[in-house]
Amino acid sequence: MDDKSSQVRAAVAQLWERSRGTMLSRVAVLEQATLALLAGVLDAAGRQHAEREAHKLSGSLGTFGFARGSRLAREMEHLFQGGAPLGQAEASHLSELVGTLRQDLAGPAPAPPTAPVPEDKRPRLLVISAEVQLAEQLAAEAQARGLRTESVTTLATARDIIAHAPPTVAVLDLSFAESPDTGLSLLSELAERTPSLPTLVLTASNAFVDRVEVARRGGSGFLQRPLPPAQILDAVCQCLGRLRAAETSVLAVDDDPHVLALLQALLQPQGIRVTTLSDPLRFWEVLQETSPDLLMLDVDMPSLNGIELCRVVRNDPRWAEMPVLFLTAHTESDTIHQVFAAGADDFVGKPIVGPELITRITNRLERTRLLRTLAETDALTGVANRRKSTQVLEHFLSLASRRSQAFCLAVVDIDHFKRVNDQHGHATVDAVLRRLGEVLQRSFRGEDIVARWGGEEFLVGMYGMSRDDGVQRIADLLEAWRQEEFDGPANERFHITFSAGVAEYPTDGGDLQSLYRAADRALYQAKAAGRDRVLPAGWHAEQSQAEPQADVVLVDDDETLAAVLLQAMETRGHRTRWLRDGQEAVAALGGATPRLKTRMLLLNVDLPGLDGLSVLRCLAQDDVARHTRVIMLTGHTAETEVATALELGAFDYVAKPCSLPVLLQRVRRALQG
Amino acid sequence: MGTIKRILVIDDEDDIREVAQVGLEMVANWQVITASSGAEGLRKAKAEQPDAILLDVMMPDLDGPTTFRKLQAEVTTQHIPVLLLTAKVQSADRRQFADLGVQGVIAKPFDPLKLSEEMIRLLGWDS
Repeated sequence: MDDKSSQVRAAVAQLWERSRGTMLSRVAVLEQATLALLAGVLDAAGRQHAEREAHKLSGSLGTFGFARGSRLAREMEHLFQGGAPLGQAEASHLSELVGTLRQDLAGPAPAPPTAPVPEDKRPRLLVISAEVQLAEQLAAEAQARGLRTESVTTLATARDIIAHAPPTVAVLDLSFAESPDTGLSLLSELAERTPSLPTLVLTASNAFVDRVEVARRGGSGFLQRPLPPAQILDAVCQCLGRLRAAETSVLAVDDDPHVLALLQALLQPQGIRVTTLSDPLRFWEVLQETSPDLLMLDVDMPSLNGIELCRVVRNDPRWAEMPVLFLTAHTESDTIHQVFAAGADDFVGKPIVGPELITRITNRLERTRLLRTLAETDALTGVANRRKSTQVLEHFLSLASRRSQAFCLAVVDIDHFKRVNDQHGHATVDAVLRRLGEVLQRSFRGEDIVARWGGEEFLVGMYGMSRDDGVQRIADLLEAWRQEEFDGPANERFHITFSAGVAEYPTDGGDLQSLYRAADRALYQAKAAGRDRVLPAGWHAEQSQAEPQADVVLVDDDETLAAVLLQAMETRGHRTRWLRDGQEAVAALGGATPRLKTRMLLLNVDLPGLDGLSVLRCLAQDDVARHTRVIMLTGHTAETEVATALELGAFDYVAKPCSLPVLLQRVRRALQG
Repeated sequence: MGTIKRILVIDDEDDIREVAQVGLEMVANWQVITASSGAEGLRKAKAEQPDAILLDVMMPDLDGPTTFRKLQAEVTTQHIPVLLLTAKVQSADRRQFADLGVQGVIAKPFDPLKLSEEMIRLLGWDS
């Protein structure tokens, strides 16, 4: 809790830095009222205004830690309150109070001793190298570019630092006294534990395989030694630029190309990506496309002016919280009033003064970013929360619709959650949720979004993925998840499964809500069908008489293969049957009105008694291949055998032994085609 | 469901909303939805169905008590418990607010670290 308290205190202190201006302007109102009172010219309206401001101050200052400030303001509120005439005595008392108040607020926030000192905000570079000289050169070079550096000479220290105070970027020198393997394993570890930390790898090797290895393990860059420190830092800065660019983008709308060019020139070096637009009619389209962090609008434009655009933006809940800054040469109060009434956050006069504009923009961005990270991530699991993910999902949906791309949504829900909670306690449940969040986050990146939707339910949105793709990916994850082991409070070890439903846009739903409902229905079916599986929307447990009752029938006497394969099939929502020998297969699947119909048959060639090819021959007589796709499993690849099988109507054949993923892939193809 | 609560904070002052949000999210791990006016609050209460509402008394246009009455008059929101947030701390004021039928009154300024605790107490979520 102490750690958390100081985090909250730090966040509040940061908020205070931004609120201080508003608070001081309220104090200014009190000062003016007091002065007017001393001069004998305070009218009723001015007094009321002062009372309101004092009231607001008394209600908020204490929240930021200024307890005395709240008391002072309350006393002033009482003095301004009511109709009793205020004399010189009250006036001088007020001026004392307001003086003390201003003094209090001028100092730093009286943060409790636990609050950390405001940190150095420069990006931090961690150099991991056994060569002290190299580290020193890099530090000097970094200093010149406004970076802080920390150097460590062992991997153990590096691990420690990254765990406790993660840097912004790291350079890992592989030409270590320890073996390069240990360095590479640190790289994998970092990619897994702190995927957001870019790591550049420095090595004397130029082998292509090493480059591949570094990329595979999540390295952000490969630098071949010898390389001058300046060039290493160039790479580091480029990497940071990408980071920041990935963080912030600004959309500027102005009909004056000079202004747009100027904005670009001013903001780009700050690592802000600027999209410029001179045609307001294309605004909505570009807004959706770029999804900026901040919007800059010109007031005067032909066809659609900035105020109109701002109103449109504010009317859409997705953009309601995006900061909007106006640029204009009109600074008369009427325009300013209109601009703010339309929902603007700030206002910058033309001609543009570079430093002022940059400060205003970066302040706005920083404020939204802080609030956003606080407001957008689920505190327990670190994945996006419902509010953030709704925004992203809506964005994906509109992209999918405009670009005719696939999109699918999965609802993932932990099985027997309540029982786990009752049996193993809250703390364990939290650990399970945190782990699932972590695993999901790691498996779904880039054009996917992972969110905690509430309780034990997670959502995964996958852009560019069909429902089938989605089922596969989540099922792969479920298979890995089954291996995860958890420790309960009494050191009991246990495993947990989850169920999921996957729906596809626009087949299963044309908007987020209906898509969610379809996925949720499939989830419900997955639970009902025995949990621990992933089902596509539109899945039917029971089908009509005319329809096949199974998706996959396996005819094989190998119990191990059957167990593994059938579980993998069921995990993916396929209805399966297992027949052990040829006779059984012919009896069930053959004849004019077969007992069992299936969409797919996996038939081993080597069977005891009636062999696979003979089974296929019998079934061919009954024209089974018309509604069933047959894949032959064979231990030999004799061409004649394969040819016979294909002639008899088999769809495909797979050579044994084969890996499960390969087999699943072929089955999937057969079921789809 | 776990114990993650969703709270709607309605206050016209940005600063207060932000601090309340930080406090509730970071201390209690709750989800916070915010609204900067009574009207927006009514809309969000209806749409988001939060577990509780933290409602500021002094707001332009729709003030806290009026917003509360409207919440009560609406079938889809009348079940949501409401706590009033007010800088008026005199007992007469507080009694008057309590008479409205709200679940409790929280005094401004509040300590962001203790806000969730106090809400839990007033809403009886600890039992």
